[in-house]
Amino acid sequence: MFRVARQLFRFRGLLGTLTARELKARYRGSVLGFLWSLANPLLLLAVYSFVFGVLFRPARSQGIGDGPYALFIVSGLFPWVWLSTSALEGSMSLIANSGLIRKAVFPAELLPMVVVLSNLVHLLLAMPVVLSAVLATSLLTHTVGGAGVVMLPLVLLLHLPMIAGLALGASALTVHFKDVRDLLANLLTLLFFLTPILYSLDFFSGGQNRMMQLMGWVVRLNPFTRAYQDVLFFGRAPEGVLWAQMALVSLVFWSVGAWLFDRLRETLVEAA
Amino acid sequence: MTDPMPHPAPLPETAIRVEGLEKLYRRTLPGDRLRTLKSVLVEGSLTGNLRREDAIVALTGIDFTVARGEAFGVVGGNGSGKSTLLKLIAGMLKPTAGRITVSGRVAAMIELGAGFHPEISGRENVFINGAVLGLSKREIARRYDEIVEFSGLGGFMEEPVKNYSSGMYVRLGFAVAIHTDPDVLLVDEVLAVGDEAFAHRCIRRIEEFLAAGRTLLLVSHSLDLVSGLCDRVLWLENGKQRLIESPRRAIDAYRQEVAEKEAEEHQAAKDQRGAAGHAGHAGDTAASASTTASTGADRWGSREAEITAVRLLNAAGAEHYHQQSGEDATFEIEVRAAAALTDFVFGVAIATPRGTEVWGTNTDLAGYVPASFAGAATVRLTCPAFRLAAGEYTVDVAVHARDGAPYDYHRRALSFTVTESRGGVGVYSPEHRWGFTGDVRWAETRGT
Repeated sequence: MFRVARQLFRFRGLLGTLTARELKARYRGSVLGFLWSLANPLLLLAVYSFVFGVLFRPARSQGIGDGPYALFIVSGLFPWVWLSTSALEGSMSLIANSGLIRKAVFPAELLPMVVVLSNLVHLLLAMPVVLSAVLATSLLTHTVGGAGVVMLPLVLLLHLPMIAGLALGASALTVHFKDVRDLLANLLTLLFFLTPILYSLDFFSGGQNRMMQLMGWVVRLNPFTRAYQDVLFFGRAPEGVLWAQMALVSLVFWSVGAWLFDRLRETLVEAA
Repeated sequence: MTDPMPHPAPLPETAIRVEGLEKLYRRTLPGDRLRTLKSVLVEGSLTGNLRREDAIVALTGIDFTVARGEAFGVVGGNGSGKSTLLKLIAGMLKPTAGRITVSGRVAAMIELGAGFHPEISGRENVFINGAVLGLSKREIARRYDEIVEFSGLGGFMEEPVKNYSSGMYVRLGFAVAIHTDPDVLLVDEVLAVGDEAFAHRCIRRIEEFLAAGRTLLLVSHSLDLVSGLCDRVLWLENGKQRLIESPRRAIDAYRQEVAEKEAEEHQAAKDQRGAAGHAGHAGDTAASASTTASTGADRWGSREAEITAVRLLNAAGAEHYHQQSGEDATFEIEVRAAAALTDFVFGVAIATPRGTEVWGTNTDLAGYVPASFAGAATVRLTCPAFRLAAGEYTVDVAVHARDGAPYDYHRRALSFTVTESRGGVGVYSPEHRWGFTGDVRWAETRGT
């Protein structure tokens, strides 16, 4: 796992160039071009606002307070999209670029990392949209936002090794088992609902039955979504426990992912 | 980071050292994937727990060193392990056993333009490809103009490379790779692509590279290219090291074996046809098969007549393989007919060692209509004032039927050299003189 980190550091210039290439290539040929990175989250926010503000208005979810539900959703959803897209695209990154791995001397760990970083850029470009919406709402109603938002970079920085580990491990495994991609896609759907994105943790606090208690416990395992909601939606600094949890989860994911990748490294040229 | 400037510390004299190299590939059996993964995760090796019969032996028992400044060729049939060897040396694959040491900056040209992104411009791809090959942005920027000029794609650098032709793709790929200024260049069969002019430019560039004392390892099916560029050649056969020799010897041996195999297949096919079609001639077929036992790559035919000796004689009739241009030359062939023949032609052809035909003729072309030939005979072809240009030549001699069916065709039956006091290039050196009118002066004429 140290080797992966070393390689990434050694080829950081190339990593940057490749990420820029990825971003450029993605919007090449479209009229709006890079503006899509802003337009996409804006449109998504608009859709959620329309669905949950106009179409069907859910009963006040517990623990969300008076802020707009759509804003609560996107503050957890956008980081989740970073994770799930990185994992899915990342898992295919080695196979998609097998020409590069098989036909050139190339540090393979860059490929899943490029996916992670380019999706991080998309997330960062979505942040102004979320922050403007939060600011506008807070000026009107004072129900959302706050100084805690300055912690956002720290949360992102802690989240990065986790997502990177996930993408690295998934990419190396997928080279041997294409099944990983499908498994991962379904697992991510399940995890999406087991993550407090559409609801708040307080949802489980009633403790109506054993199942709900168990679910509440599982959901608590993902500290990142709560941290994003804290800094973005509520504008408060996450608690110390949450920081510790994030650090631990991130360390575990990175270690396992990078170890898997390193272990499978020699096989990638032959099998990709 | 790597330094593109001349290395302050001299690199070791041995550029590539390969010791006891073995590479196994795992057979991909259906339902074997889990076992593969387990073996990798637990033992960190794809082939660790592998029984020999479950593995494909890509390479075994490979030992050689390549000195700095040497051009080392690798030849062999498809699947002989050439590309695997190159990937192992490039560090892309890990040897199953043995050791590979490479010193200096290595660049591998396995597939040119691998890693070009179709959607973005040629210019951006140069920077990315250069970075993939280990150059910093600044280094690429410094060489950018040179790269573009070499590729000859000046007008297309802002186009996305998906609009490039495959030739343009490859040209840009080669231009980037050669400008990374490696100490050791590994080339896998990439010079055959692109048009002829570009291929020549690539080869010239590689020659410059070699002249600068750099090391080349070239894998190619183009034997002429290998013999033209390389100092030594490794012949791989089914993953084993067959021999390492000077290019001419290695390639001759390789060619000979390929031709022998072809001849065998040809003969087998012919026998089959014969057995199927002419049951009555089965005896003949068996007889001719036994007499062709000594048929090699450079010699074939039914041996109804056999060439027993070939000589080159000078004007005095003495055997002489070192001629002055313009001397008389006589090719003498001794032939023996197994049984009396009524259809026969004697022929002689001269070629350069690279295979360029210089001149050839035969008795049929000269108008001799055969009547009979039995027993032993000596055939002489005399060329008075034979004016070949200086160089080395080989001679093919043959006796065959008028429809071309060979009795005994002997390629490169002998070789000889020609020297010439006056300069000149090519294969023919006619009697000639210069004349000048007008105000043309010469400081001197070096005595000839």
